[in-house]
Amino acid sequence: MAVDTDVRPDDAPAPAPAGQGRRVRRPWWSRPLQPSWWKGLSAGLLQRVGDVRARRASRPPRPPVTGTAAALSASLTMIGLVCLWLVVQLLGLSALRHDRDQALLYQQFRTEVASATAPVGPVTDPGEPVALLRIPSLGIEEVVVEGTASGDMLAGPGHQRNTVLPGQEGTSVIMGRSSTYGRPFAALAQLRPGDTFQVVVAQGTKTFTVLDVRGTGDPLPAARTAGTARVVLATATTDGRLGALSPGDAVYVDAEAKNAFAAPAGLPSALPDSEQLMGTEADVVLPLLTACLAGLVGLALLLIAARQRWSAALVWTVASPVVLALAWVTTDVVVRLLPNVI
Amino acid sequence: MRPQLRGRVLAALAGLASAGLVTLAAVPGWLPAAAADPTTATAGSGVATRQQVGSADDSAWTQTQTLTRTFVDASGAEDVVGSYDVTVSADQTENLRGRQRITISWSGAHPSAARASDPYGENGLAQEYPVVILQCRGVEDPTGDEEQLSPDTCWTNSWSQRSQLARSNSESTWRKDLYADEADTERVSGADPLPDAATCPSLDLGIYSSHITPFLAADGTQYDACSSSTMPPEAAVDAAYPAAELAAFTETDGTGEVQFEVRSDTENESLGCNDETACSIVVVPIVGLSCAAPSVPATSTDTACRKTGRFIAGSSNYTADGVDQAVSPSLWWSESNWRGRFTIPITFALPSDTCDILDTRSATGFYGSELLAQAALQWAPAYCLSDDRFKFQLNQMSDVAGWNLMESGEGAAAEVASQREETTDDPVGYAPTAVTGFAIGYIIDKPDNAGEYTHLKLNARLVAKLLTQSYLGSDLGRGHEGMGDNPLSIMQDPEFIALNPGLSQTSQEVGATLLSLSISSDVISQLTDWISQDPEAMDFIDGDADPWGMVVNPNYEGLDLPFDETPLLDDYVPTTSDACRTANPGVYFNQIAAPVTTLRKISDALLSAWPNVQTKCDYDPDTELYKTGRIARQSVGARFMLGLVSLGDAERYGLRTAALETTDDHYVAPTDASLAAAVELATQTEDAKPFVLDQADVRTSRTAYPGTMIVYTAARMRNLKKAWARNVSQFMRVSVTEGQVSGSGNGELPAGYLPIEPTGPTAKLYRSARRVAAEVAAQAPLDETDDDASDTPTSTASSGTTTTSHTGSGSAGTGDYTVDEVPSADASADVPTDAASSDAVVADGTSLGATAAISSGSGGMVLPLALVLGAASTLGAGLVRVLGARGRS
Repeated sequence: MAVDTDVRPDDAPAPAPAGQGRRVRRPWWSRPLQPSWWKGLSAGLLQRVGDVRARRASRPPRPPVTGTAAALSASLTMIGLVCLWLVVQLLGLSALRHDRDQALLYQQFRTEVASATAPVGPVTDPGEPVALLRIPSLGIEEVVVEGTASGDMLAGPGHQRNTVLPGQEGTSVIMGRSSTYGRPFAALAQLRPGDTFQVVVAQGTKTFTVLDVRGTGDPLPAARTAGTARVVLATATTDGRLGALSPGDAVYVDAEAKNAFAAPAGLPSALPDSEQLMGTEADVVLPLLTACLAGLVGLALLLIAARQRWSAALVWTVASPVVLALAWVTTDVVVRLLPNVI
Repeated sequence: MRPQLRGRVLAALAGLASAGLVTLAAVPGWLPAAAADPTTATAGSGVATRQQVGSADDSAWTQTQTLTRTFVDASGAEDVVGSYDVTVSADQTENLRGRQRITISWSGAHPSAARASDPYGENGLAQEYPVVILQCRGVEDPTGDEEQLSPDTCWTNSWSQRSQLARSNSESTWRKDLYADEADTERVSGADPLPDAATCPSLDLGIYSSHITPFLAADGTQYDACSSSTMPPEAAVDAAYPAAELAAFTETDGTGEVQFEVRSDTENESLGCNDETACSIVVVPIVGLSCAAPSVPATSTDTACRKTGRFIAGSSNYTADGVDQAVSPSLWWSESNWRGRFTIPITFALPSDTCDILDTRSATGFYGSELLAQAALQWAPAYCLSDDRFKFQLNQMSDVAGWNLMESGEGAAAEVASQREETTDDPVGYAPTAVTGFAIGYIIDKPDNAGEYTHLKLNARLVAKLLTQSYLGSDLGRGHEGMGDNPLSIMQDPEFIALNPGLSQTSQEVGATLLSLSISSDVISQLTDWISQDPEAMDFIDGDADPWGMVVNPNYEGLDLPFDETPLLDDYVPTTSDACRTANPGVYFNQIAAPVTTLRKISDALLSAWPNVQTKCDYDPDTELYKTGRIARQSVGARFMLGLVSLGDAERYGLRTAALETTDDHYVAPTDASLAAAVELATQTEDAKPFVLDQADVRTSRTAYPGTMIVYTAARMRNLKKAWARNVSQFMRVSVTEGQVSGSGNGELPAGYLPIEPTGPTAKLYRSARRVAAEVAAQAPLDETDDDASDTPTSTASSGTTTTSHTGSGSAGTGDYTVDEVPSADASADVPTDAASSDAVVADGTSLGATAAISSGSGGMVLPLALVLGAASTLGAGLVRVLGARGRS
């Protein structure tokens, strides 16, 4: 992304350079190709590019910035770009991904329920849809996926893997994000005792009644009685000083339903740290992140090289989708380093 | 949608259940009384039974008759040429089940000659003076009326045992039978009307004589028995079950003994013996035809009738040479022979699915050990047919699978034979239910037609050699690295020969293996524990050669014992020029071992002498492919097979069991006394926990049987559903009282189990069972004083879940087994509403503490930071640019 605007190909009509007397020996990769080769390749294209260049060159030249100031400016630009991109993607663009995933998961889960192949536990592959959560009072309809690792929850709320599925006898835990990726659980704390919501799983539909909403220090609910299904919805609060931008402590909603479905045995007894509430996937993700960042650096170098040969318009037309895609993927990876419910 | 889903889940469960479980249920209560004729039979008088474990059945039968052979001379004078006081005994006659073997012994009979190596079916016909034993439908009429047992309802596996077709004069001796009906002395006889020539073409051929004995099937069909196509369908040449009827051999002292396998209508529908159809075992000692007055001059038939045999007593007839018809078993149906029959009335137990038919209640499932199978078969009706009891059902599966079902709350109780790891907080009580064990069953024929070998002794090293696949099997195994000089099989192992002298040393592949279980089982762990306590066996496994130079299979060297699942570690694929084996390469030793999933299959293989060795490799002309498969049944006379069986099966099917070495040169067979001695050694470490039989103690005892195992009913003593707790507790109590009365009736303890009694060596088991039964019934809720932290649901800071779910936190690896028929129909109805059930942990109203703080920490600040930094940087960059440009211009 960082492109030195100071360098231009020699075969284009050169604007009047400011530092005329200082002739810099350029490294091999920025030296021009031989015109014969270039023209032989695409003379027509060159002609048109040359025309564009000629028109642009007729504008009064802007004095380029050089030296320390240039380096500082470029660095700050880069930092700004990266930070703002992160903010823009997390708060805005990530919802696109969430919506798309949900649409696909809904179709998949719908088909599985209809064809009676939806999972009933106890062991399901992470990322597979396991339940449909409908909270009418909050306008939430989300497909719950298996697994609560940060990466699994990019698609939607996640079901904690060492608990029964919602609606089955036992206590089930579902976590959801509160400020990014569609913010499915942003309004969770607005539920009130007595509110109801539905969960559809392979065994059928259960209507849960909210017992209470708990934050730090609130008393735990009474023990579950036999034959009931309990669901604990968990997310992070968004009512801190910075509101939606900075999720704070965990908040839980306890809800219960009678006449639970039978629960299969054989649940895993342990849960990795990465899937605990507020867990991060730092251990798993770092190699992947390294690869993504290396890809970005490589792409930047490629762009610099390309700009020596072709016009900015051409290069950016070709490179923008690639840059965007790589930036997007990298951000998705970065998010996995963050707590799973923000 | 919901009913569909439930239906689908139930269907899946049902499919799994039917595939994976052997369901034992059983039989309604009425059992016909023994139909022994009080005038001729004296029950149980001094009969030595073969039974080894479990006290003797009182249904033994014995009877004595005088049999004579009489010739009438031309003048009409009767000449008694032979008179025999024959006594026949049977060890059990009541409540038999399909394929059960009963011991029939006799004395005082005419010594046999021309012994056939295989006495069964038509192979036994070429013998002289044998004792023919058959199973027949019907019993004798005790009033002595006309309705007596007829040869027409006696089963034979081939027509040639029933019928004589187109015989010359010298081979039609039945026509001169002194006692024969007028009609049977005709040239063609046996049925009225006789079948037509289209059905039986060779019946009526000119001067030749014929006699047929039709077979009357249970459904009324009459089979003419004059060719293989006029026999019942069960009488096919390669029928599923080999012939059971035989012409048994009498020793020169007039005694003999065989094990006779009875067939129920499950195995033989045409014969049709079941709980409602009375049947008999007919024993016909052949003493020779009695002959009517001869013609003058005597015809060749008269001469033939008076023959007394070509072979000398005790001789063998390997090549099935012709014998004198008058003393052969072929004419067992002729009146001379038939009138001297012994009819042993037998009754069959009701079929095992009757509980399911007669009791519509849903069953309470007990899951686990197959060791309990035979006992459960007899116990189940005593529960399901009683209104104040419940419907008991034993679902056989590996011990660990049964345990997991019980722990996860899906099964009421587990049947296990050792202590297992508890993974939930609810305490589990083990109530002793039965004392039984495993045995190494065998079927071995002595060479030279000398009958079965009955005193097999095995030591731990020999078993270790078999389990470690250290015999070569055949020359195909010679190429195996590191053990090419080992014996081909146990028959050629000098150690085995020294221990069991006088057996054939002709090697067979089956002699390289002990047919064993492929699944995890407490039986395997006890067997290997016994081996691991034997220093010589362990030295062998660790790589030392035995005194004869045999070494362990290198793939097994240093094997860690004990284990509960037999590992198949060999990977040797022989290289051979054989086209079939080249097309089907396989690990040779594993094809020989071929372990199976249930002990019952091993018993069946032993019963049929049909090894599970899968090395047969031949060309299939239909598909033009080479294929491998199970080798053929072994022929009688050359049988050799070893298999791991349960004592219950061994007794039910009359399998012989080996004596195992405990200390040097002390071999202990499974008997009441040796099981009791082992129980005495077993110690209990903690109340309600299993008794542990330390094999090190067994080695110091000279009387304890190492294969003794105590089967426990294990159930949760807290948080078990009320209905289940009631049923399980009842089962625990009844099975150590009523269920420990030896016998073959409903609710009684079959042979193969040592009764648990309130006195004697089993008293400690009795007391422990009663105590556990009481605790299971009480289901005492969690006591506050022994409450530990893990029982209280607390917020765990890492997970944020605020209630601890106890549901199904089973151990890893349960996924394979736990999906099965959850008896949920009654379960949901019986769920008590109080808090002390299922996985709810404490009563309402108890304060459980406060929600712990879990914060997103620095992670939550990422977005604000990024926003601020981004904005600042962008501003800064613009500022630098503007300032820099201004400074330059």
